[in-house]
Amino acid sequence: MKKEISALMDGELFEDDAESLLDRIGRGTDAHKDWELYHLIGDVLRQPDHIHCDLSAKVRERMRDEPTVLAPRSHAVKRKARTFALSAAASLAAVGVVVWMSQQIGTETFPPMAMQNNAMRPVSKDIQSKSNDYLMAHQEFSPSTDMNGGASYIRMVSYGSEGR
Amino acid sequence: MADREVDQQLVERVQRGDKHAFDLLVSKYQRKLGRLISRFVKDPAEAEDVTQDAFIKAYRALPGFRGESAFYTWLYRIGINTAKNHLLANKRRPPTSTPFDSEESESFDEASLLREVNTPENELMSKQVVDVVQTSLQQLPEDLRSALTLREIEGLSYEEIAAVMNCPIGTVRSRIFRAREAVAENLRPLLETSKGNRW
Repeated sequence: MKKEISALMDGELFEDDAESLLDRIGRGTDAHKDWELYHLIGDVLRQPDHIHCDLSAKVRERMRDEPTVLAPRSHAVKRKARTFALSAAASLAAVGVVVWMSQQIGTETFPPMAMQNNAMRPVSKDIQSKSNDYLMAHQEFSPSTDMNGGASYIRMVSYGSEGR
Repeated sequence: MADREVDQQLVERVQRGDKHAFDLLVSKYQRKLGRLISRFVKDPAEAEDVTQDAFIKAYRALPGFRGESAFYTWLYRIGINTAKNHLLANKRRPPTSTPFDSEESESFDEASLLREVNTPENELMSKQVVDVVQTSLQQLPEDLRSALTLREIEGLSYEEIAAVMNCPIGTVRSRIFRAREAVAENLRPLLETSKGNRW
């Protein structure tokens, strides 16, 4: 517990752990003494020229006559409630956007696929035969050969032994 | 959870009626607030009374604290106002050229003025407390002393100390605790002997 008190006063404890530790400090006088002592050590290290006796006992004594303060729940609770409400609204909005986007994508994707099937219909035989003639005539310009259409620029040559 | 958030948690507890949470805030800020008030009220006994008054005023005003500023800033503002009102009530002029506002009041250092706060009967005790803390610190192993010094004097976070000391954050946490506890062990016998005044 002392180790946790040390971390708490340095602001290095998680919120939930801090909450439960503050509860325990409130219940135990030893824990409160450790809290005071560790703060005294820090104050001495930072400002050794200004160390005075503990005022908290005197303040506590005077506070016995003070009515317990009770703030309207507005500040702390409202802030937490607002944070929760905002995060919940943001989550709902995010879910809504995701659902809407998935619906939009769903309606737009399928028709083009159906249209693609239509585009795959075979052409009529008449057009096919005409295009075959055309393709035969222009075959040398076709980029589908290994030479990427460069074959038409290559001269075929051969040599024999007669000229020697 | 940052230091300011710890204060805010304590404040919210006080606002829910937990007086003990206010005790923890008093323990934490009493010397800082006392140091600030002694800047205005030179008489040590008066400065102590004004510091107590400031805490009581802060307690009464806590229901209206909305957490828009840090608690210590708000507390220091109350401390400065209480000190000025005290001087006016006693027909003394408050210092006109206060070289800090409540934000800067965290860091001002006027040792010669502050020393006056100690009453004669507490002077010896405060010297002993300082001696024990400083001697204990010097006797600590190097790694513990460095960790505590970087935290308390330099104000580094555990993450920053871990980077400086090249070790995991868990080790930093452990070293700082062990250093504090070693110093506290030496202080406890001395504080138990001080009758009347608690330290």
